[in-house]
Amino acid sequence: MPTTIDRIAHPVSGPAPGRTRVAVSVKHLSKRFRVRRPFIETLRHPFEQKYMQALNDVNVDVHEGEFFGFLGANGAGKTTLFKTLATLVSPDQGTVVVDGFDVTTHAADVRRVLTPVIADERSLRWRLSARENLRLYAVLYGLPARKVAARVDEVLEIVGLDPADDKLAGRFSSGMRQRLLIGRALIPQPRILLLDEPTRSLDPVSARTLRAFLRDEVCKRLGCTILLATHTSEEAFELCDRVAILNHGQPLAIGPTDKLQLEFGEDHYLLWTRTADHPAFDMLARRGVTGEAVIRGIDDEGWVRMEMAIPGGPDTAAAALQQFVQQGVSVARFERLELSLGELIQRVITRKVGGRSE
Amino acid sequence: MSRALAIVRANWLTALSYRLETMFQFLGLFVMVVPLYFVSHALQPMMASTIKAEAPEYFGFLIVGWIALSFVNTAVTGLHGALSGEISTGSFEALLSTPTSLPALLAGLIGHALTMNVIRAVAIVSFATLFGLHIVWSSAITGVGILFLILLAYLPFGIVAAALVLGFRTTGPFPTLIFTGSALLGGVYYPTQVIPSWLAQLSVLVPLRYGLKSLRRTWLDGAPLSASFADLGVLIGMILVGFALSILAFTLALRYSKRAGTLAQY
Repeated sequence: MPTTIDRIAHPVSGPAPGRTRVAVSVKHLSKRFRVRRPFIETLRHPFEQKYMQALNDVNVDVHEGEFFGFLGANGAGKTTLFKTLATLVSPDQGTVVVDGFDVTTHAADVRRVLTPVIADERSLRWRLSARENLRLYAVLYGLPARKVAARVDEVLEIVGLDPADDKLAGRFSSGMRQRLLIGRALIPQPRILLLDEPTRSLDPVSARTLRAFLRDEVCKRLGCTILLATHTSEEAFELCDRVAILNHGQPLAIGPTDKLQLEFGEDHYLLWTRTADHPAFDMLARRGVTGEAVIRGIDDEGWVRMEMAIPGGPDTAAAALQQFVQQGVSVARFERLELSLGELIQRVITRKVGGRSE
Repeated sequence: MSRALAIVRANWLTALSYRLETMFQFLGLFVMVVPLYFVSHALQPMMASTIKAEAPEYFGFLIVGWIALSFVNTAVTGLHGALSGEISTGSFEALLSTPTSLPALLAGLIGHALTMNVIRAVAIVSFATLFGLHIVWSSAITGVGILFLILLAYLPFGIVAAALVLGFRTTGPFPTLIFTGSALLGGVYYPTQVIPSWLAQLSVLVPLRYGLKSLRRTWLDGAPLSASFADLGVLIGMILVGFALSILAFTLALRYSKRAGTLAQY
């Protein structure tokens, strides 16, 4: 039976459960950028060129109504992919089709159905009110003049800025500005939204509110397909139906986060004990039942959290636990370890390419 | 068209929100006319014979020259200035993400500077009239048409400057060279006949030379349009060649920046 790893090794991701229509289709997409060389080097070798591979044979299908995340270290290729989707960067190779329109040949049509949320607050007109900011983009997105005012009102209400509609954007809090940026992208009623780290400048409370808004309002109620680039665990794990983990411009794993967690994190467990120096830990590690136990922390009552790898799945883990108890190790709690986003990405990279990441 | 107007409107609202600055801009115009009046009157006896083919008075000669030069300035620097501003704030990326065509975007971006220039020109003429400027009002509309041709002749330079910003994030000395060259060789402060012969050969390449001569003859002497046909013919030729080349330059810059991934970079 093929594992998730086998499936993700295939160049094209499989459809998400229960979804069929493809909203964004990326096939064999590659993009490289010329690297700026130091002046002296340019003088020595004027005709030599160096390139950085930003995207390397990317294949991914995102389905209608899906909340899809792109994860990866800085420079993994997320932003280049988003800029390609938004028709701001032309691909070197491959095809990118958005709602049936090719980004190279039908750029204007793509821009009618897909809008990027530019997360930079400076891209708003700070000396204009929220209403005027939205009004400008309503016209630029080609809304008929008679519908502009009504649509602006509607969007102000959706993003919860209707009470502050005449306030200057420059006087908004960061959270309000993020809402306005999202509102600006919602103006043309897009089928697909691109969100590049939308909560990076927000405090934890505002970020949480925004995440709930994106999930419940934008994705579920308005039915937008959302593509999200993020470094945040909460966004990846709480919001995304599926994620793609990128490294050096290549998707290494694609799938639902819980499945990726299982696939890449199932062998790690956390055991709470008061006898961390018990010889059973070394003994089981020598026998190969568990990996080497590592202390992760101690609480006020003296319970030590020990992390260890137990390969072989839940049955092996249960057997190992039984052996610990039989040997006299005091156990208060034993649980499968949820990987943090960073650990998940690192493990995927380690397993797929041997740890080479940026 | 409505999209370009929406950008112009937004830029106007933004500019007007800086009330004190707007007020000082117009006050500054009034202050500028006063020394111009006294300097031109002081130089009138010396300049009278050299400017007689274009204007009866040096004050009018200077005012019309200044107005034409301000349109040259807007055409050459307005577009790349607005574009640089939009790029540095990140709003260019937002504008490019809409289905607005690039010509509409560019028209919108320069629209505010242009309308501001029109208002400034009207204000200058009004202030100068108070100081005794004689405009042949029956030729006013024809003069506006010539002014529009001057603007069109210089817009290609502005488009090339914008293309340089788009491709390389800098214009280098290009706009300064065009503006300074036009100011010195286009007959703004003195008629082109007084330019030394070796420089006069260069001045035949300056569009302002042809437009300004026609504009002064029309506005200040009330000469019919037919008197300027030869000059305007050259100007129109320059407009056609200029637009063809500048659109090509802009298309290449756009293609380059999309390929290099720098289109919306700061």
